[in-house]
Amino acid sequence: MLTLENLSKLFGGVRAVDDVSLTIREGEIFGLIGPNGSGKSTTINLITGLYTPTTGKVTLDGHDLTAMAQHERTSMGVARTFQNIRLFGNLTVAQNLWVAQNGHEQRRAHFLARWFKAGGEHGPDIEELLRFSQLHSKRDLQANALSFGEMRRLEMARALASNPRVLLLDEPAAGASQEDAQLLAERIRAVRDRGVTVLLIEHMMELVMGITDRIAVLNFGRKIAEGSPAEVQMNEDVRAAYLGGSHKNEELVHA
Amino acid sequence: MLLDLVQNTVDGLAVGAAYGLLALGFTLIFGVMRRLNIAFGPSIMIGIFAGAWLHAEWSVGMVPVFLAVLAGAVITAAYVERISFAAIRGDAALASMASSFAIWMQLEEAVARVFPGRTYGFPTFDGMPMIEIGPVLLRPEYLVMLVTAAALVAALQWGLAHTRFGLELRTLADRPEAARVSGVNVARVAFLTFLLAAAIGGIAGFLIAAADGQITPKIGLWATIKGLIAMVIGGLGSLRGALIGGLVLGVVEANAQWFLGAAGREMTTYALLFLALVLLPAGLAGRTEAGARAEAERRL
Repeated sequence: MLTLENLSKLFGGVRAVDDVSLTIREGEIFGLIGPNGSGKSTTINLITGLYTPTTGKVTLDGHDLTAMAQHERTSMGVARTFQNIRLFGNLTVAQNLWVAQNGHEQRRAHFLARWFKAGGEHGPDIEELLRFSQLHSKRDLQANALSFGEMRRLEMARALASNPRVLLLDEPAAGASQEDAQLLAERIRAVRDRGVTVLLIEHMMELVMGITDRIAVLNFGRKIAEGSPAEVQMNEDVRAAYLGGSHKNEELVHA
Repeated sequence: MLLDLVQNTVDGLAVGAAYGLLALGFTLIFGVMRRLNIAFGPSIMIGIFAGAWLHAEWSVGMVPVFLAVLAGAVITAAYVERISFAAIRGDAALASMASSFAIWMQLEEAVARVFPGRTYGFPTFDGMPMIEIGPVLLRPEYLVMLVTAAALVAALQWGLAHTRFGLELRTLADRPEAARVSGVNVARVAFLTFLLAAAIGGIAGFLIAAADGQITPKIGLWATIKGLIAMVIGGLGSLRGALIGGLVLGVVEANAQWFLGAAGREMTTYALLFLALVLLPAGLAGRTEAGARAEAERRL
């Protein structure tokens, strides 16, 4: 469904992403892991269009996204959340969703009609999304006024409001407690059950190993392994990559 | 003395409301693009000359003149946006500023060639009576300025809060990266924001020209400077600040003109700008970066 074909990105002389090919299947939760600086964030930015790849291409259901602007990719069905939350702080919770709301009929509507029409008719139902994210009681609060956990939920809801086929989650468990991570895992499964394919970048190994169907491991911009969580955990290259003296290795072994 | 002060303040508020509209135009563009448009005033000047020409050639009434000013300002702004902003969006903000500086010179030179005289007449609101509020007099064109500015600001506030375009504009000013991945078409919103700013500036320019009754090609530079000063006094990037900055500038100028003369007015204006930069670097309505960070940390 979402495929990366021989994707590379050079920054000056540095190969941030080096000839990475991946195929993410419809309806799966796919994990992308690797030590810090291994190219995970760059990969996400190549998929959403913040960066243009030096070589290679990104396709979604056979449509080539590589030359598209970011907002065009969003309407094709690519959505993301940010590692450091980026909400529209001065807008209300409901407005955050409304701005991102995107549906097929709406895209065809004349832009003036789109801009002056109150939301809720096309694309995902905002009220339903608010309930799904347990933010319904906060719908008219400014996003700035939310707690950290609520902000994370709102950011995911905003991504879902754009009616994505695939959702990229960039370290959604950063700053979360063990219990929060549990709830997050349930939430990610619930997102998948809505018919959205999930690409998860995460350092919390317990979470990744627990909910993903398949995992790819990056190191120094290259893909060094791909497979089920069990396969990846047994992989010698992966163990070596995580053995760089980092505590991450223990996480990997104990997960 | 006290009566003079009150009278000057009333006049100053009216002119200040027009300054506030100019500052609002700057602020909209700055908020969405993080770029200064030096050619903002000169775009308005083109509109004003279009209106004056229409009036001189065809003796049309105020409504067609107004529409000509609006159309001239908006069309010129579209030209400026394509040349100085859309074409070099990826480059440093300074590139756009320098480019819009060049466009300003181009526009001013073009108008000076076509209209070689020093000043031209602009139609005024004739036949409206002076309004007396006790001992204070209010010029009818100043009343029009105040009412128009208030109505425009109210409409803008409503639009920014309730229309999709308004929300998209705010998301782009607030979180450009997140706006892009939420499907906001940056190029289109930026372009339309430019046109909206020019329309607001055109309305302000029309009101100012109609109150003065005469114009020169320098009115473009003048509008840029007044708008910029008002914006800086009020705080970069805040709509409310732009308006307050305009009103403060208008009131201070009117009083300085009365008590100190024309030279004293200019000096007072720049002294005000200096004080604002030294004492309130974030502007009257602005908050400092440090304050914003502290607020963010409190939340976490």
